[in-house]
Amino acid sequence: MKIVIADGGKTASFIIDMFKSRENELVVINSSHTQAASLMKNEHISVYVGNPWRHYVLEEAGVYGADVFIALCEQDTDNFASCIMAKKLFGVKKCICVVNNPENVDLYKKLGVDSVISSTYLLAQSIKSESSVESLIKTLSIENDKIQVIEAVVLSKYKIANCRIMDIDFPKTASIAAIYRKYQIFIPNGQVTLLPKDTLVIVTTPEHRKDVLDFVQKEK
Amino acid sequence: MKNKFLVIGCGRLGASIANSESENGKNVIVIDSDPSSFDRLNDSFSGYKITADATDISSLEAAYIKTAEEVSIATGNDNVNLFLAHLCYDVYKVPKIVVRFNDPDYSALISGMNIKAIFPFELSLNKFKTLEGGSHK
Repeated sequence: MKIVIADGGKTASFIIDMFKSRENELVVINSSHTQAASLMKNEHISVYVGNPWRHYVLEEAGVYGADVFIALCEQDTDNFASCIMAKKLFGVKKCICVVNNPENVDLYKKLGVDSVISSTYLLAQSIKSESSVESLIKTLSIENDKIQVIEAVVLSKYKIANCRIMDIDFPKTASIAAIYRKYQIFIPNGQVTLLPKDTLVIVTTPEHRKDVLDFVQKEK
Repeated sequence: MKNKFLVIGCGRLGASIANSESENGKNVIVIDSDPSSFDRLNDSFSGYKITADATDISSLEAAYIKTAEEVSIATGNDNVNLFLAHLCYDVYKVPKIVVRFNDPDYSALISGMNIKAIFPFELSLNKFKTLEGGSHK
């Protein structure tokens, strides 16, 4: 994979370490001479010095046709401009940028950046899911909270215990993606009977999360 | 109803546009993050001045971006201008957008969009060429 890493100090260093291998071709661009020097020294990698939102910098660094472009500039708008340029003029397949303002996550995606990451946004989401941990329920949000994966354990007092999936009229807004039973994972079909102590992995949307949990946890 | 004329960035260009459009009787709103930049406006300027960071959409919405008929974007930062131009076009569907870019390479980044751009570099170069051409005559 051809990966471009634009700007960033410690973060860039961490990402370079993660992707440094024979299969990956790394292109590193940094607008600061001092940061570029320290990256070169620590990572033993060549760094192109220049602003990543300049056309000639991306051209000379050889960004054409890269698989991934990661923008780590301090200013949100600098990241936006770099990603748009890489995408529109250099045929980069996927652009990822970090932003400080969490409001920019949805906005930048709408304006054409493939993936936008805000640490504040992630922190808020993780606090939200941690604080909603009820007994035996874990939630994981993906695609910026558009999909939720719920892990729920079946108890013998539940109405659904010892029933076949085809008989329980499971909500249409969710689906049982997998069942974890006695250290084994399998993908269920309608014939499968839910046993007590089974862990269900359920995929749903945040709006329907409560309905689905209410259904699963309905007691006899 | 879309009837506002928004000017984002009250530098020399932004302030001059705001002054002349205000004199033409347009409903002008100027946004800049630095309140002292409003000193460039004429005493007769009758529009609104809003001190805010225009990259923050809540402050843009407070500046009636949703009812803007025309927007002029002339902050000192090309990347901010690019972002605002895309935002006004894609999200707020402003009918007329004019943006200033110092880097002429940015023209390719707004191609296919109904955004008009001013490039001071090209204007200066063309002017230079005409002056140069004239001096030889």
